[in-house]
Amino acid sequence: MSTLVQQAAEIHNNGSDTGGQPQIPENVELYQPYEGNQITLPEKAQCLAVKAFLKMCDIPFHIMLRSNAEQMSPSGAVPFIKAGADIVSEFDPIVEYVSKKGLSLSEELSGGQKSEMKAYMALSINRLYLAEMYLSWNVKETADQKTKQRYGSPYPWPLSLILPYLKQREAISYLKAHNSWQDFLPDQVYDEVNLCCKALSDKLGGEQYFFLDRPTELDALVYGHLKTLQMMEAEDKRLADMVNKYPTLVHFCDRIRDRYFIERERSR
Amino acid sequence: MGQIHAKEITSEERPTLDEEDPALHKHVFDGNNPVKVEHVHIDGLGRTKDDLVIRHMKDVLQAKTFKEVIQRTGEAKVKLEGLGVFKSVGVFIDTSKGDGSSAKGLDVTFNVKETRRLTGSAHTAVGNNEGSLVLGAKLPNTFGRAESLVAEYSRGTKHSSGFNVMLVKPIGQEFDKRLRGSVFKSSADYAPSSYRETGRGVTLDFTFPSFVGMSELQWEGVWRELSCLTRTASFATREQSGHSLKSSLKHTLTRDTRDERIYPSEGYLLKLSQEVAGYTGGDVKFWKEQIQLQVNKSLFWNCVLSGSLQGGVMKGISDTEVRLNDRFFVGGPTTVRGFNIHGLGPHTQGDYQGGEAFWAGALHLYTPLPFIKAGRGGFGDVFRTHFFVNAGNLTTLDTNNMFAWEDHLQKLRQNFRWSYGAGLVLRIGSIARFELNYCMPQAAQATDSICQGLQFGIGVNFL
Repeated sequence: MSTLVQQAAEIHNNGSDTGGQPQIPENVELYQPYEGNQITLPEKAQCLAVKAFLKMCDIPFHIMLRSNAEQMSPSGAVPFIKAGADIVSEFDPIVEYVSKKGLSLSEELSGGQKSEMKAYMALSINRLYLAEMYLSWNVKETADQKTKQRYGSPYPWPLSLILPYLKQREAISYLKAHNSWQDFLPDQVYDEVNLCCKALSDKLGGEQYFFLDRPTELDALVYGHLKTLQMMEAEDKRLADMVNKYPTLVHFCDRIRDRYFIERERSR
Repeated sequence: MGQIHAKEITSEERPTLDEEDPALHKHVFDGNNPVKVEHVHIDGLGRTKDDLVIRHMKDVLQAKTFKEVIQRTGEAKVKLEGLGVFKSVGVFIDTSKGDGSSAKGLDVTFNVKETRRLTGSAHTAVGNNEGSLVLGAKLPNTFGRAESLVAEYSRGTKHSSGFNVMLVKPIGQEFDKRLRGSVFKSSADYAPSSYRETGRGVTLDFTFPSFVGMSELQWEGVWRELSCLTRTASFATREQSGHSLKSSLKHTLTRDTRDERIYPSEGYLLKLSQEVAGYTGGDVKFWKEQIQLQVNKSLFWNCVLSGSLQGGVMKGISDTEVRLNDRFFVGGPTTVRGFNIHGLGPHTQGDYQGGEAFWAGALHLYTPLPFIKAGRGGFGDVFRTHFFVNAGNLTTLDTNNMFAWEDHLQKLRQNFRWSYGAGLVLRIGSIARFELNYCMPQAAQATDSICQGLQFGIGVNFL
């Protein structure tokens, strides 16, 4: 991950050194797979988090749907943004890129708050992401009936079988590399999700946002993941219920959605 | 070993023989002596099936005169050698012996030596502008009927690599048709367009002679994966990244009347090919037509004038865009000299994007090296000097108006590129050649990558 950040920073530096005043180019495009029947659960969460982040930064962008978005991305993961000639992929490098351009959601935070935020991002969000990967690729029933079907949908036979299979192998080795998550039982994974939700709910308490009176990167990430879990109700009710158990989190998600995804659109 | 030495005794020679040694004459067969081939023996067959060789022996058995016997055994020997299953073929003709043999009877014995069951090879190969090391293993005559199973692994100088396993089977009465199936994987970098392509696939092809030339019918099913070579690749190339499955049918007709492949002095080569992808599956859909023509004319003092013309046009089927890795590319020392490889035509952010239509033409004057006499097998046979003028153009087509021929021709005509120069040509073996040219590009576009001065090229197919 850190190399990606460095590379993104390099790309950014190359751009700004010659361009003078750092500025986000006007035409920002966000590339992601098709929402309807292609995107998988972890991808959807990552895309929604980036979208929420860009909205919170008030950066206008166009969503570009491409079935090969994953292969187009320089890091091999979605989403990625194209700002002028710059191409930056995944959440952390995008946050870094935007802050290099002079826009940061967390600049008002104190040093302590910043590290607290980083800790939440690393612990809670990574765990949520691992749980999403586990539930979509490592639970045989879901993987065979939902995830692989979705992942293979843009391709003709036999690629529609080969590519999901390869992706599943990749996902399982990713889980293996993170404390052997692939050996967990589904119940353990649901417990992990529950713990994450509890921790986030406790941190949020009665506040509007996690820190101060304004959203930070953490808010965008939490929204991206929790909202996606809620929306997956039809496919995994248990996961959605896990989030819905915490009213603070439900209200939080509704608030972010209303404020950034509904009101913003209306006022435009 | 493996050669027949025989000649007809001419009428001038016979009297002298008679005079010198009358006893000898008895043993000299007159070419027109009526004879009968009674037995044909084939010694040394191991795994080769009998029916493979027997069919070539029928002519020998029907020979009526001694001259015919010599001629037909010679032909049969060439055919046996042509099967590629014998290391050597020797012929021995003798008068018949044993019971019931007539005075006119002859026995013909073929001494054959089969190739080994497994042969290995390591050699360097030359593709267009890339050298590669090829390691191979071959099972010749795998099932006893001249089939061969070949496995090859190659690694090139420009990050290309690949393997190929193929089974070839000659079929038909004359064994002149060939069926071939192969499984392959190959990958290569295309730096001028900043992409890398990995292909895994299967091909099946059938080659057969027809009255106009050799025809090849091929089906290819290949899974291609395209990825950007660098993070700074153009967005147009990035958009093409990903997986695609091509299933195509291709027909190639080749008529080659040239007397030699590398330094022809007479004759022409015509190659026409049609490819249709998408009707047999896959998500790559296009049709593609290509033509190649080369005409040679020998002039005074061993000079040869050679003209070449190549052209191609393609179109995506049902509104699909033609993919980057299917498009035409022009430029480089084996096509339009004076330009770098693929360095001609449509271009965005430093990457050449190829086109859907192209033409390229060249006129060469080949001359022997000055002061060195071209002789048999000498130094002068390997080298030639040449003077050339070549031109070409590559363009995208407005696929919505495919039948607006006027517009397309106009596009292909305007801003065409040309260059001239001179250089040295060196043949490598009987299929590849090497060129060192001094090029003078005369017309180019600002985005073209020109190569003024020395240009070095190595390859199999040249414009």
